[in-house]
Amino acid sequence: MSITVNQWQKWQKSSLSLICGICSCLLLVAVWEWVGSDPINPITQVLPPPSKFVPVLFESDFKIGLGSQSSTIYQSVFVTLLRVFAGMTIAFVAAIFCGMLISLSEWSELFILPILGLIAPIAPIAWVPLALVVFGISNLTAIFIVFMGVFFTLTIATVAEIKRIPENLLITARNLAGSRFNIWRMVVMPAVLPSVFTLLRLNFIAAWMAVLAAEMTGLRDGLGAVVMTGRNLFNSNLILLGICIIGITGFAVDRLLLLIQRRFFWWRV
Amino acid sequence: MEGLGQVELPILSCQNLCKSFPGNQKQEKLVLANINLAVPKGSFVTILGQSGGGKSTLLKLLGGFLPPSSGRVFFDGQPLTQITPKIGMVFQDHNLYPWMTVEQNIGFGFKIRGDKPGTYQHLVHEILDTVGLSQSRKLYPHQLSGGMRQRVAIARSVVVKPEVLLLDEPFSALDVQLRRRLQDFLLTLWKEMHITMVLVTHNVEEAILLGQKLIVVGNQPGQIIEEVVISEPQYGDRYHPDFLQLQRHLESLLDSNLIDPVQAKPLPISNGKAIS
Ligand SMILES: Nc1ncnc2c1ncn2[C@@H]1O[C@H](COP(=O)(O)OP(=O)(O)OP(=O)(O)O)[C@@H](O)[C@H]1O
Ligand SMILES: [Mg+2]
Repeated sequence: MSITVNQWQKWQKSSLSLICGICSCLLLVAVWEWVGSDPINPITQVLPPPSKFVPVLFESDFKIGLGSQSSTIYQSVFVTLLRVFAGMTIAFVAAIFCGMLISLSEWSELFILPILGLIAPIAPIAWVPLALVVFGISNLTAIFIVFMGVFFTLTIATVAEIKRIPENLLITARNLAGSRFNIWRMVVMPAVLPSVFTLLRLNFIAAWMAVLAAEMTGLRDGLGAVVMTGRNLFNSNLILLGICIIGITGFAVDRLLLLIQRRFFWWRV
Repeated sequence: MEGLGQVELPILSCQNLCKSFPGNQKQEKLVLANINLAVPKGSFVTILGQSGGGKSTLLKLLGGFLPPSSGRVFFDGQPLTQITPKIGMVFQDHNLYPWMTVEQNIGFGFKIRGDKPGTYQHLVHEILDTVGLSQSRKLYPHQLSGGMRQRVAIARSVVVKPEVLLLDEPFSALDVQLRRRLQDFLLTLWKEMHITMVLVTHNVEEAILLGQKLIVVGNQPGQIIEEVVISEPQYGDRYHPDFLQLQRHLESLLDSNLIDPVQAKPLPISNGKAIS
């Protein structure tokens, strides 16, 4: 495969932004390290420099919690990610499906959309107490919270996107003798997928925060719980480590979603 | 040109067709009034008219895409009341599905009716050759030029072998050179596939060049103001005196029919050649 000038320029541009991003992060770490290296500085007590808290990650017997409930920090990251992804996947699939069902008739739009509009603005964190009562302390609680935070917005978006599909795309499909089911499957669904997925990516931050809040308040594991354990133990190294991992993981997931979008849902209707 | 000598039943026709849309101030806006026309089987009919004159509306009525306000459309002797795959349509904008490759777009007519890929792949490849897009079959619509997109759209409609193909200004967005190439291509396709074609255009040259029968639709409300049967071969030559004479006649006809004062100035001679 030959590389065109255009591709080369694109590559240069993206590598430039990558290098600049890494540099600015390194600079932040360096300044932090420099400020925090002074042992008599009181800030060091609450804000230990990276050289203090990063090694915690590599302590071999590093565990959070006690006895049978203890887990490593890697497990915490894994658990949190699993919850977010499960909730978002279920919400995405369900929203596309429900949005299409609602669009089938004007009456269902008139009756159901106001309800969705009413529920959508509720902050996902507000569901935490209710979820704890219903599902107890379990993965289900976290998944439920993510779902509630994303599902309603996405369903409303799906209905709106279906309305925006150019009429001629649908007429052409009918003209080519497509059955109603096939038109929904082969035209309507692919036409709305990209924009709904974009919205899912934008809503990821909300879902991410909701899960962390749930882990800080009710659940006893996951990344949010790492930070809370740090607080309970007066261990500021642990708190900062947790915060940094939350930031880095959230960033990585956002990039991953962007990658998925570019790879699988790149078109615009 | 063939097929005009014998008297044949029209495959598509309409009687006293009227269409009005809800206009402002509670008044119905009459767009088409009393249209009667017949499209002989296997022929190439062009409909000429100005922008906003109701050409697209007429084409949609003929294909069953819109219900008429009064009057009736007949297809194959039967009243036409809904969309049928036997009447294909190529819209003004190409309407390709952006998530499908050229190949998938062309095969879409088979896929959506549930055919297995193996049963239609060879037909798709055949038509790809005909429209000269075999090299580009893996590309997506956004990677194509305007002319390629129109060819894909035409191929998609033609490959499922409709009996009638309706084309709504398929080349209006293209430059003169490409337009001429695609006009020739369309004529070749028409001769090879034996599909009845009805093409709508505001370009006089295109209407004469392609049509065996030319129908002029006047403005406000749209009515048929002239029907020309074009059978002699000299009308296939853009620079033939007869061609130019007919072109001038039709242009002045369209001019005199203009009602909108904003547009009421003489149209330029469309091919840039002075008429002697
Ligand atoms: N769905 C509609 N509702 C109301 N009015 C309509 C509708 N469709 C078309 N019209 C009106 O009918 C008239 C004719 O429209 P039409 O699209 O058929 O014109 P056209 O001859 O195809 O024009 P162009 O060459 O620009 O495509 C216009 O005045 C337009 O405002
Ligand atoms: Mg039109």
